[in-house]
Amino acid sequence: MNPFTPKVRAVMRREFMHRVKSKWFLLSTLGLPLLIVGLMALSIFLALRGATDTSDETRSLGVSDPTGFVHELLVEELRSDSIVASRATELEGASVEVAQSRLADSPFDYLLVLPPGIVDAPGSGPAVGASDDEEAAILLARENLPAATERTVRNALERSLVRARLRFAGLEDVDAGELLSGAGVEVVNVTETGEARDQEIYQGISFGIAFFFYLILLIYGQMIIRSILEEKQSDIVEVMVSSLRPWELMLGKIVGVGAVGLAQMAIWAGIMIAATIYGLTGGASTLAEAGVDLSSVAVPWGTIGLVLAFLVLGYLLYAGLFAGTGATISNETDAQQAALPVTMLIILPFIAIQGVIQSPDAGWAVIVSLVPFFSPLVMTSRLFVTDVPFWQWTLSLGLLALCVLGSAWVAGRIYRVGILMKGQRPNLPEVVRWIRHG
Amino acid sequence: MLKRFGKKTAVRDLDLEVPTGTIYGLIGPNGAGKTTSIRMMLDIIGPDSGTIELFGSPDIETGRERVGYLPEERGLYQKMTVLEHLAFFGELKGMRRKDALREARTGLEEVGLAERTDDKIETLSKGMAQKVQFLGTILHRPDLLVLDEPFSGLDPLNVDLFKRIVLERQRQGATILFSTHLIEDAERLCERVCMIAGATKVLDGKTSDVKASTGRREVAISFEGDGSFLEAPGLVERVADHGQYVEVRMVEDGDPQDLLERAVRAGTRISRFELVEPSLREIFIEKAEEAGLSAEDESEDASEEEAA
Repeated sequence: MNPFTPKVRAVMRREFMHRVKSKWFLLSTLGLPLLIVGLMALSIFLALRGATDTSDETRSLGVSDPTGFVHELLVEELRSDSIVASRATELEGASVEVAQSRLADSPFDYLLVLPPGIVDAPGSGPAVGASDDEEAAILLARENLPAATERTVRNALERSLVRARLRFAGLEDVDAGELLSGAGVEVVNVTETGEARDQEIYQGISFGIAFFFYLILLIYGQMIIRSILEEKQSDIVEVMVSSLRPWELMLGKIVGVGAVGLAQMAIWAGIMIAATIYGLTGGASTLAEAGVDLSSVAVPWGTIGLVLAFLVLGYLLYAGLFAGTGATISNETDAQQAALPVTMLIILPFIAIQGVIQSPDAGWAVIVSLVPFFSPLVMTSRLFVTDVPFWQWTLSLGLLALCVLGSAWVAGRIYRVGILMKGQRPNLPEVVRWIRHG
Repeated sequence: MLKRFGKKTAVRDLDLEVPTGTIYGLIGPNGAGKTTSIRMMLDIIGPDSGTIELFGSPDIETGRERVGYLPEERGLYQKMTVLEHLAFFGELKGMRRKDALREARTGLEEVGLAERTDDKIETLSKGMAQKVQFLGTILHRPDLLVLDEPFSGLDPLNVDLFKRIVLERQRQGATILFSTHLIEDAERLCERVCMIAGATKVLDGKTSDVKASTGRREVAISFEGDGSFLEAPGLVERVADHGQYVEVRMVEDGDPQDLLERAVRAGTRISRFELVEPSLREIFIEKAEEAGLSAEDESEDASEEEAA
């Protein structure tokens, strides 16, 4: 039997049109992309500003060098950076205090004061910054010293000293840079099919999706509660149930509200695709001119389909629970409190998400991703950061589907009795009686 | 039918048949079980025992599309427009959207709301909203109209308008079942009545039969001059003075003709001498007392109703 009777469709259309035409829909549908674009623009702006500070503008570094040769090495080491080092002859031999007082009048942005015995003192090593240690090099700065600059100077000085000491040890021909080159570690995550993927990006996507689910479930769940409450409070519900079955009303409402969510997401997806194409083509040129072949962009359709399936089933599960909850209350004040148990079921997996993303294959993560109330958030997060075995996601999806049917049955019975009830909120034993005798 | 809510019995062994084409009144004080009975008839709630047939068939689901139900507690979606709302009600009764829209426009014209078609419900006055609600009930031309306390809270103009429309529908063949605690309303409108008090049926049948069955004789007399002829212990049981006229209850087997003779002999001028049937209200109170129920409940409930 097709459950979408003409009456259910009438309710669906009413719920859908009513919401889509509202100011709320316009604001939230356009507001979110604008917010994202705004945040992106802000982060780009900040990144550009940061870049200006560290690399674009050249800074000058004076070196007070009693040894007479370390500054030459330092100049070489700093050549590729945006810091121009030169020997500050006029400050040679001056104490740190004197150098400090004369920095403002000097042509330098920064002043590095080396102690005379710096090359002979391998034990102390170079130390940059305020220190009483006689052997430490002191870096004076006119303005706030960016961390990146400090790091650059410190590394350059370290390499210079190593080279100087090597020279003393008679190893003049050795390339110190080569000698010091470390063994960098780059992490490459390899899928089962042997492809590499950038784990950080996928972790970001994973968290983003979980957060999105979390918001959607909470926002649309509240919407369903409000909608049912409105019907009870405006006394329209008895007019309704004389014409159609309570389950028809509930189904129409849940699907209608859900369709609003899907419409909203479709619009967002459209905006995203448009923005991507616009971005790929550099804004002005066409796709062909830019030489971008969109068919070469690997869209993970399977994963997207699976995520949608989890979203839809997860929505149905929670919408049913929220509908049952809404039927037990008669006023706004009770709404928050009554919804708390259901809300907790959504918040709990969200709290666990960070851990799941870090170790998606841990035993507990696998188990949590199979539990129906948690799987919509947890399993979808895992999908992006690990290869979820076939049996796991099918089992998870199957259990979720079963749970949707079960909760729809329970919610339907609570709803049937609850929508005609007024006044005090029923206690748990009463609700259980509704379910049993519904 | 029997229905219990927890330990309280809302309707006890109610046996009721509404003949096609009649105007049927379900009367009784608030809390007597009228609304519960109606809800069971329309399968909004199930009875604990008993059977229900609608249009002679136990398939209530199908039958419900031919019913127009105006519940006592009624409301509208405040944010919808008048026309959209009526069309929605029509669709819920199995009408096609196109037909529902057409009927809605005709109906709005009839009740004088043609200009408010595209306004939101929340902008309407209370009286206008009542009209929309009522239209929503009759839009699909139901064969059975179930009206639960239809006139409570209505302004007098709407009461007349709705009565006119209801009677018109009845003449066109519809059956009307309406419940009220205002017994005078039922007395004026209904061919048949069923009285419920304290979850139990106390009386049912044709309104005229119900009145005749009591076998009492009341006489309304208007006169000028000497009223001493009324002091006739063997003939008159009770006299109620209403100012313009007196209402006299004869003793059993007392002949009103004898009373008239006494008046003429006393030289009193009689301008009206009329045998009247007892009012349903009196019969109801008597029956309820017989059934061991206090009639005070009713007046209390009635005043509560007005307050609400």
